[in-house]
Amino acid sequence: MPRKKLSNEDQPSKANCDLAETLVKELKRDNEWGQPTIYEQQYVTGKLSVIVIWDAWDHVPLEERTATILHAYEVAEDIEYRNRIALANGLTVPEAHAAGMLNYRIIPAVRAGDPVTEEQVRAVMCVQGASTLLDPNHPQLRFRSKEDAEACRRRLIERLPGSDAIWLIDRESQRADSFGLQEMAMTAEP
Amino acid sequence: MAIAGQRTGAIYLWGYAAEMLLKAAYFTFIGVPKLRSLTFPQDIQPAIARGRVLGIAWPAQGAGHNVRAWAELLVIVRAATPGGAFSARFGVQVQRCGQRISELWRETLRYHKNVAYEHEVDHVRGAVSWLLSHEQSL
Repeated sequence: MPRKKLSNEDQPSKANCDLAETLVKELKRDNEWGQPTIYEQQYVTGKLSVIVIWDAWDHVPLEERTATILHAYEVAEDIEYRNRIALANGLTVPEAHAAGMLNYRIIPAVRAGDPVTEEQVRAVMCVQGASTLLDPNHPQLRFRSKEDAEACRRRLIERLPGSDAIWLIDRESQRADSFGLQEMAMTAEP
Repeated sequence: MAIAGQRTGAIYLWGYAAEMLLKAAYFTFIGVPKLRSLTFPQDIQPAIARGRVLGIAWPAQGAGHNVRAWAELLVIVRAATPGGAFSARFGVQVQRCGQRISELWRETLRYHKNVAYEHEVDHVRGAVSWLLSHEQSL
C-alpha cells in the first residue's frame, strides 16, 4: 500500500463545511445585525486580520475555526483576498467578552406594566444577535463600541414600539477571565 | 520525560520552550538586542497592549504566558510591517502551532499532578517541533 509521510505543515486544518457555507452567505449578505459579527482590520501593508464573533464556534477547535474563516473568504472573495488575511480568528461571544473585546452590553429592564413581555424581549434580542451560550434564558447582547450598542438599541425600539425605557446600555470594565479553552483535556490515569 | 512517563511534565517543558521561542522571535523582530534583559513593565506589558490594539484576543489572565496570543502577535506585527510579513501559508502555520499548544498548555501546568495521554504529548510536541525547526524564519 502507498506509504506517505506528511510533515506537520503539510496537513492542512480542515474547514467545517457547514459553518463555512453559512459564513460565505454572511460575507456576501453584509447584514447589519445578528451573528456572526465580522471585524476586518487592515494594516498599511494591505494585510488584514479578521475576527469572526459567532456562537456557532462553540466546541469547534481554534485551528478549525481559522481554516473555516479562510476557506469562506476564499469562496466569498477570491484566493488573492484570502492570502491578504494574515490572521483569522473565530471567537464565541463569551470568549470575545472574556478577552475584553465586547465591553458594551444592552440590558433589558422589564418591569410590571411595561407594554412588552419578557418573551418578546428575549425573542427580539436573539434576532439582533444575542448570545445564549452562557444562559439560554438570559440572552446577552454585547458590542465592541458604544455606537454599535446604540444602533442596536434603536433597532430594538423599532421592533418593539414603546420599549424605549427598557433598554439600558452598560459599559463594563475589562474582565480578567481566560477564555475559549476548555479545562485541560488531560485525564488522570491510575 | 515523556519516555519516563512524565508526560504532563514533557508538555510543560515543550510549551515553555515555545513561549520563549515566540517571545524571542517577536522581540528580535522589533529590534531588541539579543542580550538585553526583558522586563514585564518595559517589554511584556507594552507587547500585550500592542497586540490588543492590533486586534488580538488577549485575555488578562496569564496574559504574559499566552502562547497562542504571542504566536498571533508575531504574525500580525510582521504583517503590519512593510516587507516583514510571513507568506500566507507560513503565517497560518505559526498561528496554528500557537493554537495547538494553547489547547493543552498553561504556565500553571507544573502544579498539576495528572498525567497527560501520549497523543496529547504528540500534539504539543508536533507543534513545538515545527516552531523549533523554523526558528530561523520566525
